[in-house]
Amino acid sequence: MFDSTEITIVSGLPRSGTSLMMQMLDRGGIPALTDEIRTADTDNPQGYFEYERVKQTRDDPSWLDHADGKVVKMVSSLLYDLPTTHSCRVLFMRRDIDEILDSQEKMLTRLGRPAARREDIKQAFSVHLDRLLQWLPTQEHLQVLQVSYNDLFVSPNEEIGKVTRFLDRELDLPAMVDVIDPGLYRNRSSDISV
Amino acid sequence: MAKVMLDNNLYDRAKQAAAKNGYSSVDELIATAVENEIKRIGEADAEKQVADQLRGLGYIE
Repeated sequence: MFDSTEITIVSGLPRSGTSLMMQMLDRGGIPALTDEIRTADTDNPQGYFEYERVKQTRDDPSWLDHADGKVVKMVSSLLYDLPTTHSCRVLFMRRDIDEILDSQEKMLTRLGRPAARREDIKQAFSVHLDRLLQWLPTQEHLQVLQVSYNDLFVSPNEEIGKVTRFLDRELDLPAMVDVIDPGLYRNRSSDISV
Repeated sequence: MAKVMLDNNLYDRAKQAAAKNGYSSVDELIATAVENEIKRIGEADAEKQVADQLRGLGYIE
C-alpha cells in the first residue's frame, strides 16, 4: 500500500532512460527532487532531473529526510550508499547495452573526455550489473522493479501499468504516456523497431 | 596438475580449516579460495572501470 513517506528512486546506468522515467513520474504526479544544476543539453533535451547531493550520499545522506513522497535519480553505483533507515522503491532502468554505450561514447566525445575500449567497458558494466542485481534483492529497505527502456517505446501502456502497480500509486497515465517521444529514442539498435 | 608451495604452518592451518568446514581436502579449500580471490579482483577491476566511466560522464565525483 502507498506510503506517503516512501521515496521513489529511479536508477540504472547512464543513458538507460533514467531521465525519461524521471520526467514521466514527475508529469504523472510524483514530484521530482532536482536542483536543476545540470541543465538540458543535446544529450538530454528535456533535462537531466538530477540532484547533486545524491553524489555525497555515503558521507551525508541527510537529503533523504526531505525526499518523502518524491522521486530522485541515482546512478546505479550510488544505490550501495543508501542508508537502511529509509525505505525506497527503486525503478531500475534496463536498456540494450550497445545502445547505452553508443550514447555514452557520444556524450563523452561532446564533453571532450576519453572513452574506454568498448569491449572492456561492456564487460565491466556486465560484472557491475550482475553484482548489483544480486545484491539489491537482499536489501530489506529497497524494493526493486526493473523497467525496459526499449519496451517503453514498444508497449508504453503495459510498461507504465507495471510501474504504477509497483509504486501502488494513482498516477496520471495519459500524461506519462505523452512524455514518451519516439523522436528522442536515438542510438537505437538496428534490430529493435518501434 | 600444477602444484603450489605453502609453508608448513599455513598448510596445517589450511588442513584444520578444511576439515572443520566440510572441504574434502586442502586442495579443494585452496582451489575455492583462489577462485573467490580471482572473482573478487575481477569485480574490483570492473567497478573501478565503471567508476571511471561514470565520473567521466559526470554522474559521480
